[in-house]
Amino acid sequence: MSLTQVRPSPPAPPRHSASAGKAKLWWHRFDTRTVPYFLIAPFFVLFGIFGLFPLIYNAVVSLRHWRLDDPDKTGWAGTENFARLFSDEDFWNALFNTFGIFILSTVPQLLLALIIANLLNHKLRANTFWRVAVLLPYVTPVAASTLLFAMFFQTDSGMANWFLSLVGFGEETPLNWRAEKWSSWIAIATMVNWKWIGYNALLYLSAMQAIPRDVYEAAAVDGAGPQRQLWQITVPMIQPVVIFTVVLSTIGGLQLFNEPMLFDENPALASGGSDHQWQTIAQLIYRVGWRDGNLGYAAAMSWALFLIILVVAGINALLTRRLGGGR
Amino acid sequence: MERFGRRALHAAVAGVAATLLITGCSGQALEGGNDSDSASGEQITLKVNFFGDMGEKMLKERFEKANPNIKITLNSAEYNAHHEDLQKKLVAGSGAPDVVAIDEGFMVQFKNQADKFVNLLDQGLGSAESRYLPWKWKASMSSDGKQIGIGTDVGGLAMCYRTDLFKEAGLPTERDQVSALWPTWDAFIETGKKYTSATKKKFIDSGTNLFNPVLGQQPVGFYNEQEQLQMEGGPKVAFDVSMKAIDAGLSANLVSFQPNWNQGFTGNKFAVLACPAWMLGHIQQTAPSTKGKWDIAAIPGGGGNWGGSWWTVPAQTKHAEAAAKFVDFATQPEQQIEVFKTVGNLPSQPALYKDQAVLDFKHEFMSGAPTGQIFAKTAESLQPQYLGKKNGKTREAVEAVITQVQQGKVKTTEAWPKAVEAANKVANS
Repeated sequence: MSLTQVRPSPPAPPRHSASAGKAKLWWHRFDTRTVPYFLIAPFFVLFGIFGLFPLIYNAVVSLRHWRLDDPDKTGWAGTENFARLFSDEDFWNALFNTFGIFILSTVPQLLLALIIANLLNHKLRANTFWRVAVLLPYVTPVAASTLLFAMFFQTDSGMANWFLSLVGFGEETPLNWRAEKWSSWIAIATMVNWKWIGYNALLYLSAMQAIPRDVYEAAAVDGAGPQRQLWQITVPMIQPVVIFTVVLSTIGGLQLFNEPMLFDENPALASGGSDHQWQTIAQLIYRVGWRDGNLGYAAAMSWALFLIILVVAGINALLTRRLGGGR
Repeated sequence: MERFGRRALHAAVAGVAATLLITGCSGQALEGGNDSDSASGEQITLKVNFFGDMGEKMLKERFEKANPNIKITLNSAEYNAHHEDLQKKLVAGSGAPDVVAIDEGFMVQFKNQADKFVNLLDQGLGSAESRYLPWKWKASMSSDGKQIGIGTDVGGLAMCYRTDLFKEAGLPTERDQVSALWPTWDAFIETGKKYTSATKKKFIDSGTNLFNPVLGQQPVGFYNEQEQLQMEGGPKVAFDVSMKAIDAGLSANLVSFQPNWNQGFTGNKFAVLACPAWMLGHIQQTAPSTKGKWDIAAIPGGGGNWGGSWWTVPAQTKHAEAAAKFVDFATQPEQQIEVFKTVGNLPSQPALYKDQAVLDFKHEFMSGAPTGQIFAKTAESLQPQYLGKKNGKTREAVEAVITQVQQGKVKTTEAWPKAVEAANKVANS
């Protein structure tokens, strides 16, 4: 009742500026609602072309027979390729190798990275120098470093055997690193560790620097030593980064390809050793697809690997969350 | 609902626009290379892919000089990778080179896909037939009479040995005397034992490099002409010889054609090497410092072949005429003699075995050995072996088992069943 219109109604704008205002409004809406899509579109377009499409196409291929060496054997396969995986010794061997190398590389890698990050987090002389130095392996091209490591692990003239001989091992018969599973796994895991420890250490370090100092001071007052501070304060407080690195190194570790490939004396074979001692799944996929020309089966393996990585990365993330203080 | 529709529409429009932007950038570059064939005077580039050492630099130089409008680009790769790459590109329908070398180990596989190659008879190269060993000409011919390749070399077999190391071990160093040391493979292994006990060094480079030549001497290789695996025949004989040599501790356990093996040449890691003619080029290239320290004796067991290639032209080439011209040029007697002299590869044209230039040739690197006479003799009496479609992969699988033995993973007595299993797996794949 009393809601009388007190304010004077705004003067009717002149006619020509009415349309200008409308245009302005339209532009404003376009600018805020549509332009952002334009700005992020390149990523999604590229992702669609190079990520999503191959993934879907690969799934289609995995349901077909597609032979490069024999075009007559091409045709619909249904789930035959996947069924074959279960009885394929080579696949299980490669899976075993992949997990073996994965554990040998990921666990020491992340632990050492944590310890190095913790050291770098203290006041040190030439701080920047150390931080750049730990990152150097990451900058080195994989092909170059792996070729050097392949020489490092040579039987007759390799430095690894020279070091072993210094402490009295294998002076008579030098260790053939490529002969056995355990030795070749260690060699490859060493290459992976060497490359990624520094990178992970820097990630941890940056997270550690965000932890407020007074937390440590309080802990010190309460009598917590450096060990206890690391495991009970630092690690829980950088947990998100730890989960990130665990997931990333899980993905990287299960897709391991360059190192085992170039470790072979004849890399073109992609055999991962005379008896496939260190053949990883990625290597087997390459061999089956591009050397044997069996694209359908290789595609099925790729999808299997994809699923395995999803599961393992999920489990690892969960475990890390539990271990790191449990929420 | 309305909102969702609008949003989706906006997103879709944005996506399409961005796609257009991206493709717009690259569109022009794609339309670039506009090749048309053999219009005289127009510049043509031929891609030539090969493996090993085929005298390619000399061929390129001479051919470009004779055909100023054609440029050659050379591209070499590892033996297995080279052939697999070709297979992929033939199936893909693009990307294959204009001229490509194919080894005998893969010839059957490729001649079964003769429609993917230019029939060189259509390019007027049929007249070359009279120059060739009949089996060499036939070996690259498809069942329906298309000629996909013109032969370059044949392997032939001989045994290269280091005169300086033989002298050290108190063994004879003169060609005929050395040949007399090993009429059979058993005698060869006995000689090896003498060498190793005298010098404490290894005699052969690898068990696989005994397996291959011995297999090359057998009437039937891995497969018979019905493409059935025949492991108990020739392969068993060859496998046993290599196992005996490994048991006797003669092998340096190196992997052929890989860096360690190459170092073995200069590091005196082995004293003999089964050498087909094409191996001479490899020795010269990898161990120039051993010049004059090698000589050539007869192969134990006598005869046999290992390797030998053809030049082919994939059908996807845009320059079939020019490519055929190159193949024709490269297989002319003058060029074949030059390749023989510089690299060592033995021509597959019997007239050249009687050519004075070949007969008189003394290989300087190999202590002046008359390689023309030595290899021509083995090539003329050659009984070619049928190499099945899967010969290359089967050999690789059996070689892997020999390597396992050399690594001490498998006992020599238990290796044969493993080799059979590995070969069967390839045959049934």
